[in-house]
Amino acid sequence: MVTGLKTGLQKSKRLRTAMESVSRVALLAAALISIAAVVLITLFIVQQGLPMFSKVPASEFFLSTVWTPSASNPHYGIASFIIASFEVTFLAMIFSLPIALSCAIYLSEFAKGKFAGILRSAIELLAGIPSIIYGLFGIALVVPAIRNTLGGNGYSLLSAGIILAIMILPTIINFSEVSIRAVSKDLRMASVAMGATPWQTIYKVVLPSAMSGIVSSVVLGLGRAIGETTAVLLVGGNAPVFAIKPTDMGRTMTMNIITDMSYATGVHMEALFATAMLLFLFILLLNALVVEISRRSRLEN
Amino acid sequence: MNKKLIVVAMTAMLAASAVFAQGSSESSAKPAASTSTYTFGGSSTVAPIANSAIPVFESLNPGKKISYETLGSSVGIKQLLAGTLSLAGSSRELKQSELDAGCVPTTIALDGLSVAVNSSVAVSNLTMAQLAGIFSGEITNWKEVGGKDAKIQLIVRDETSGTYGSFKEIVIEAAGKEPTTDAIVAKENGEVATKIASTPNSIGYIGMAFGSIVTDAGGKILTVNGIAPNTQNVIDKKYPISRALYVVTMGKPVDGTVEKDFIDFLLSSKGQKIVAESDFIPLN
Repeated sequence: MVTGLKTGLQKSKRLRTAMESVSRVALLAAALISIAAVVLITLFIVQQGLPMFSKVPASEFFLSTVWTPSASNPHYGIASFIIASFEVTFLAMIFSLPIALSCAIYLSEFAKGKFAGILRSAIELLAGIPSIIYGLFGIALVVPAIRNTLGGNGYSLLSAGIILAIMILPTIINFSEVSIRAVSKDLRMASVAMGATPWQTIYKVVLPSAMSGIVSSVVLGLGRAIGETTAVLLVGGNAPVFAIKPTDMGRTMTMNIITDMSYATGVHMEALFATAMLLFLFILLLNALVVEISRRSRLEN
Repeated sequence: MNKKLIVVAMTAMLAASAVFAQGSSESSAKPAASTSTYTFGGSSTVAPIANSAIPVFESLNPGKKISYETLGSSVGIKQLLAGTLSLAGSSRELKQSELDAGCVPTTIALDGLSVAVNSSVAVSNLTMAQLAGIFSGEITNWKEVGGKDAKIQLIVRDETSGTYGSFKEIVIEAAGKEPTTDAIVAKENGEVATKIASTPNSIGYIGMAFGSIVTDAGGKILTVNGIAPNTQNVIDKKYPISRALYVVTMGKPVDGTVEKDFIDFLLSSKGQKIVAESDFIPLN
């Protein structure tokens, strides 16, 4: 009787360990799938894009602003697209950062009760809106506003920057809020005990301590902005020209890929993949930056 | 733990390689059976039709592999005459010399473009010369063509689209001019329509089949040289921004050849549906 019970217990224990190792293996397999996806995508883009450099000199590709893939003597220069990508991202940051940081500080330090809840769900909703909706919103409101106030036809890098600024708000707000919240209560108490006002506490103590998290959120926002396609396509004008003023039309790297992808063949197609390679490289660098920032802040702590 | 990890990784790799191996053996086994490869080519305007039609044709005719090289109408016909291609796409009428050499064109689609403007534009007709001036950037103000004193906003299609190619060839290059890059580039007919409707003083062109989406969105369709764009005027060759698209063979297409089968497919209801989906006017 006793021995029977013992073996029964042993059996269930063995079953449990078996179950545990099975589930562990299943989870590991899932993790491996995500690694495989990244590796496969990288290999695919490089394999499709790299051959272009044997036909188009890298100097022309990166430095020329002439993009005429269907001309009888085709040119594949993406310099103006690279610059436009950085320009819209930069504009988006200028508009977005002050609002996003203020909002994050308000949410973590002051917002209470029902209003905080409403504010949070509004921001969540902002993150969930599809980019085509942002684009249509841009055509309907931002483009005419720019046209009527600053001139030009309204389809411009500036319009794209404004739309992007709204789109990256949730990314920056959420990550910044979390890192501001994570600043230990003792620090705030100590600051207040020293006679600092709440505002002094926020910008002399809390913000510097949360800085690495805030910078990470900004870098993530940059990544989102530089990779956005549909929304900027609809409001940027998409003219393959070198934009001088923010109110000029322009075409970013993502816009160029999506515009030409449908009919491109041969070297033209390879040039689009090479553009994608460059874009991928930028995103990779931005992600590496986030990892590096959080590693450093861990070391400091 | 480490050992386990290695085992799992290896199993995963094995499984993956099995899947890949299956995929590649499948694709390499079929052609070995009885595949014949055909090279067609020519007009870049016909290319979207050919490239959409070929996969469907291949799935209906297993063992036949076709590629379409985008070379331009003239190069395509030259290579047809040289025997490099067995079928050429052409977006222009054949020259008498080419007909004499034995080329036989078959019409597969009609191509016509409507010129649309924003409702703020007072002009309702433009000549081909005026259109060429506007889209090459030489005419930049509406008052130069009898409208209000306002800057003309151009809305064009992306460079790789057949619509762009057609308009460039028929209107701009025919007048010996080059298209200007100072224009809003839209990716789809629908986007052109939306942007024409929402941008004051704008003008753009659109596949004729899509004219109604501009008027629905509040835009206007212009007459060109006094002729309205409609299918009848295209068929009668009255409307100037129109043409027929052809596939060309050496001699009449012979029954049982892949060229004849492909032409028959293009003319079938399925093929004509592809024509319409590629923004061209089907024959019926």
